[in-house]
Amino acid sequence: MPKLVLKFENSVLKEMAVGSKEVSIGRSPENVLVIDNPAVSHYHARVFNEEGRLMLEDFGSMNGTFVNGQRVKMVTLKPGDSVGIGKHTIVVSESRDLDGFTSGNGGSKPAAPKINETVMLDTKERREFLQKVAAVGESAQVSPARLKIPTLVVRKGRTNQREYSLNDKLTVVGKSSMATVKLKGWFAPKAAAQITRRDDQTYYIGAADKVPSVNGVPIAHPTILKSGDIIAVAGVELEFVFRD
Amino acid sequence: MATEIEFGAQSDTGCVRENNEDSYRVAPEMSLFVLSDGMGGLESGEVASRITVDTVLEHCREAEANPSLPFAGENIQGICGASNRLASAIRLANEVVYRAAQQGAGQRGMGATVVAVRFADERMSVAHVGDSRIYRLRGGELEQLTQDHSFVAEQVRRGKMTAEEAGSSTMQNVLVRALGIDAAVEVDVSEELVIEGDTILLCSDGLTRELSDAQIAAVLGECANAQEAAGRLVDLAKQAGGGDNVTVIVLRHAAKPVGAFARIGKWFKNSA
Repeated sequence: MPKLVLKFENSVLKEMAVGSKEVSIGRSPENVLVIDNPAVSHYHARVFNEEGRLMLEDFGSMNGTFVNGQRVKMVTLKPGDSVGIGKHTIVVSESRDLDGFTSGNGGSKPAAPKINETVMLDTKERREFLQKVAAVGESAQVSPARLKIPTLVVRKGRTNQREYSLNDKLTVVGKSSMATVKLKGWFAPKAAAQITRRDDQTYYIGAADKVPSVNGVPIAHPTILKSGDIIAVAGVELEFVFRD
Repeated sequence: MATEIEFGAQSDTGCVRENNEDSYRVAPEMSLFVLSDGMGGLESGEVASRITVDTVLEHCREAEANPSLPFAGENIQGICGASNRLASAIRLANEVVYRAAQQGAGQRGMGATVVAVRFADERMSVAHVGDSRIYRLRGGELEQLTQDHSFVAEQVRRGKMTAEEAGSSTMQNVLVRALGIDAAVEVDVSEELVIEGDTILLCSDGLTRELSDAQIAAVLGECANAQEAAGRLVDLAKQAGGGDNVTVIVLRHAAKPVGAFARIGKWFKNSA
């Protein structure tokens, strides 16, 4: 399994195996490989396996991603390649020590504890388990080729976009920094309404600081949205549709 | 607006059982709250729920110190890093309980439910497995934010049983998902907006078997503070029979008092 070695000048900062899970790289703590440096974008690039090849993709970062000195968008990586991000270097190498987890004979079974003892994995066991599941315990998410994308189309009112694809489980309408549908104007509420996606792919509209109306009727409780529904809240009108 | 979470929690063995197999942890420094209901013979239910809440806290704490800590399992699309971390912590708890169940001879059937919430600004991550529940009281309306992973709840969702039939079914205690049963578990995760005045309730089924939604809503709405509400809910469940262990965590999202000048400053910032 290939391994990424993060270096700054000559010191090794971090090592990370690349399994079936992609390694996102950037300054934001949400990334798998976090590089806390102003020269690095919040979501800078990613490294992932595709049909046995190790791929690197730059997310259109401000300062770019370089492989062996060349600025790249999307390339195949091979052992020995040196990836430059800001002043940091990521060296691609083959990892030996992690292979034990994929072959299934890692032999990390700890001695059986008595049931009335505290049966916690110790730190080492937990780390091993995490490595194992992060590396092999997943399947790539396959999305259908033609997926209907739930979309909010702005019919009336002042917002920062005319249309919004609802990709997240939570969508907030308001002036709040976490709002997707950003309302403008002095008196716009921070959080006017919220739309949540449940696991069965239904979308519910719910009240927050305001009670939204759906097709002219104020909702009494969270309500399932259907294609064509018109949501009115805090002076804006949004049409909920499924787009191809 | 600066906000803080006021919390209260209470756990009780109830009036019938001999052991309390519920566990909970509050970690206000991480805005993390976890509750688990254990199952299994002898003391294994207690062990399972304790392992669960401790593992969830431990993993989140470790990730705070080391953001590049690997995630257990595949990240879910459309939710933030903190929510995925919570799911990761629960998958890890599953692994630990599962190992404990496999290793402790005769402890098959050892398992646990889990409900957990974590706040980051106005976003609340909600995660669960099993039939413990999370409710939200907003504007006087009580809403269940989790869907039970129980046999009867699935039957109701599929339209094969009415809510009334489910309430009197002898199959009520049959779970279709729990921690520690299989090597892997699917964790339900969602995200919710948090607004001023929201009250969140995490509870084991010992509460919801005894009290109706209306009773729960009334207590949450009436009590002056979160701890009082937690104590009152447990007392009422015991008065109603207390057939099972009952554990609750009550969280209230209250606005910090902000001075007039700070408020005006905030106004300008918001409207810029």
